[in-house]
Amino acid sequence: MIRNTRMKRLSIVSAVATVGALVFSTLPAQAATPGVSAKEIKLGYSGPLTGSAGLVYGKLPGAMKAYFDHINANGGVYGRKIKLVSRDDKYLPTLAATQTTNLILNDKVFALVGALGTATHSKAYVAAQLAKNNVPDLFVNTGFSGFANKAKYPTTFTILPSYAMEAKIMAKFIKDTPTLAPQASFLIAQDDEFGVDGVNGFALAGHKFSAAPTLYPQGALTPALAEGALTRLSAVPGKPVLVLFGTTDSTATILKAAEKLSLTNKFTWIAGSVGGDANTLLALGVKPATINGALAASFFPDAKDATDPYVSEFMKINTKYNKGVSFDNVVLQGMNSAMLTVQALRAAGKNLTRAGLISAIESKGANFASAGLVPLNYSATSRVGYNGYWFGQLNEKGELKPFGGKLSIYTTDSTSNSAPTASSYERKPVPKNGVPTNS
Amino acid sequence: MVKLSPNRKRLFAFILLGWVLLLISDRVGELRQYQGSFVAMYALAIASIILLTGYSGQLSLGHSALMAVGAYAGALSINNLKLHPAIALVVAALIAGVFGLFLGFVVARLSGPYLAGTTLALAVSLPTIANQFPILGGEQGIVFDIGTPPQRFGEEFSQYKWFFWISSLAALISIWMLSNLLASRYGRVFRALRDNSVAAQLSGINVGRLKAVAFAISSGIAGLAGGLLVMLISGVSPSAFPLSLSFALLTGAVVTGVYNLKGVMLGGLVLVAIPEIAESVVSRIGGSEGFTTTLPGFMVSALLILAVLFTPNGPGQLLHHHKKKH
Repeated sequence: MIRNTRMKRLSIVSAVATVGALVFSTLPAQAATPGVSAKEIKLGYSGPLTGSAGLVYGKLPGAMKAYFDHINANGGVYGRKIKLVSRDDKYLPTLAATQTTNLILNDKVFALVGALGTATHSKAYVAAQLAKNNVPDLFVNTGFSGFANKAKYPTTFTILPSYAMEAKIMAKFIKDTPTLAPQASFLIAQDDEFGVDGVNGFALAGHKFSAAPTLYPQGALTPALAEGALTRLSAVPGKPVLVLFGTTDSTATILKAAEKLSLTNKFTWIAGSVGGDANTLLALGVKPATINGALAASFFPDAKDATDPYVSEFMKINTKYNKGVSFDNVVLQGMNSAMLTVQALRAAGKNLTRAGLISAIESKGANFASAGLVPLNYSATSRVGYNGYWFGQLNEKGELKPFGGKLSIYTTDSTSNSAPTASSYERKPVPKNGVPTNS
Repeated sequence: MVKLSPNRKRLFAFILLGWVLLLISDRVGELRQYQGSFVAMYALAIASIILLTGYSGQLSLGHSALMAVGAYAGALSINNLKLHPAIALVVAALIAGVFGLFLGFVVARLSGPYLAGTTLALAVSLPTIANQFPILGGEQGIVFDIGTPPQRFGEEFSQYKWFFWISSLAALISIWMLSNLLASRYGRVFRALRDNSVAAQLSGINVGRLKAVAFAISSGIAGLAGGLLVMLISGVSPSAFPLSLSFALLTGAVVTGVYNLKGVMLGGLVLVAIPEIAESVVSRIGGSEGFTTTLPGFMVSALLILAVLFTPNGPGQLLHHHKKKH
């Protein structure tokens, strides 16, 4: 009898504790446009700040914030300062869902910017009800072509070209390069939406690999697996082309396996834009001699090229507002996304609304100034940012130089089997002092 | 005065708790409703650990994998078999339970670190297993969509409140059934297994079979919690069930008191509230980004050490001792 009374009381104690915690803070009434006041625009970022993904991509929000600080120091956007709230999702879908929901309901941000990851952000998008609340979801860092589905993601604008586009352009590059075309070619890819998008792109381009692709689960490529795959391929005569369609840590595992087996010169290495970041490869212990001569796709200028006007401007901002952080592709990416965001906010006008911001990117986004060497593709029907690539060759310093000494840009789409076309796109000059003045 | 049986009292306590939760859901904002849903889900998952570890003496380090089994089963039930989401959650519990029964028989002879190692291996291999079957959607996973709340609740009834209702109801019913089970002959048998399996065997208890039964029930509850988890994040993928989830649940169980089912909500609350508290601390006292991101882990670790030192059997037990002194 006593025990059960006790149990009852303890159940009530548990209930009261829960009540207390839950009632602790009730939400005040929402403003007309959340996250916008006369003096401030609040933006949100959810992505990996810690963990293995945080090691590579953790610099992204810091780079965006540095650029926003630069804009704030130069008067903000129509007098409003930009505040970026960052939350760590550790690259886990559950945390991405809760952190993004927190950004919307707790931090009450006006828009999201630069979210990273497909498996994470696709769940966060639904959980945080971004579509229902018409929250602009700007410049998402993934090339998964599914985010281009406007019916499913009506407020999302991606920034990276799709992985399918990349594969189609890679296929054309191999076909058009006399030293590569006659060789056997093989694909080692991640077995997820990233790799599968790539496999589909090669199929659309009509490229036939010499064997079925070697697929591995994301994060599960061990040195032993990589050594096994390379040992099998080493028996192929000539200098086979080996396409690596995975994240940078996987590329590093494969290249280090090649070093161990003394096979670095046996293959022509082609790394995708996601897995070909030379700085990260070198940081992960790949020898400079190994990456020397490797081919990689990119849509940006080389982050080490201080002669590029955008890189040079961003480097200055990084030195001033992002002290102690080395400038690399991730920082370049972050600052570029931030600069696009500022232009989008300006294009939406002084009377800032969520619908107005989305509409402004649809109507004016293709003309925004951007560091990318390929065109932006935003329109009323397209939510994909960049739609092309150029090919370069890495040297021992990790610099990516145009293949054959000439910058050749190709653009394409994600779904048709039409061949990529050469582009004569010339980007807009960098805004004076890196501060956009568009309207 | 009417005398109530223990079972009736327990039932009334849970009905009262449900009524309180119903009132809460009308008085808090959407964020708290969403967080409350996670508290209920974690409470359920912690209850499954307490049954397995605290009552039957088996240690699982891979409970996240058992949650994933339920989550995938639920998602496939909705997407492929077009079952109602409520039935899908029942299917999630059943399939995970059957999986747990099978696993329970396989590992019945194992105990201590060997059992822990086996379940750990299951959790570690989950992404690889999930990627072997295209129907599971690889790394991207598959959608788990329960749809919008019924229209009869009105336009003001939010998706988050709907989540809160479903999670709370599932947790209340499951924990009520579990507390009845543990108060029955089975509860005593499970405790006998935990305290001295040789003596239990000499008393005529089929140790292997009962351990497998405990594993199956625990897996079923974990599977239901997994189904609720992916309902809350709208999709299931391997990365939703990292190893860290298994360790977080164990932490919650230890803080709750691993031999005590009475404080599971506290465990769930701790897992949801710690990051919030850490953020609030950082925003008050200031600090670097690194400080913000590492503080939750530090707080959980500190809480774990304090719980082991001062309330090894959970806060409920502390209250029990306190009352005895008076």
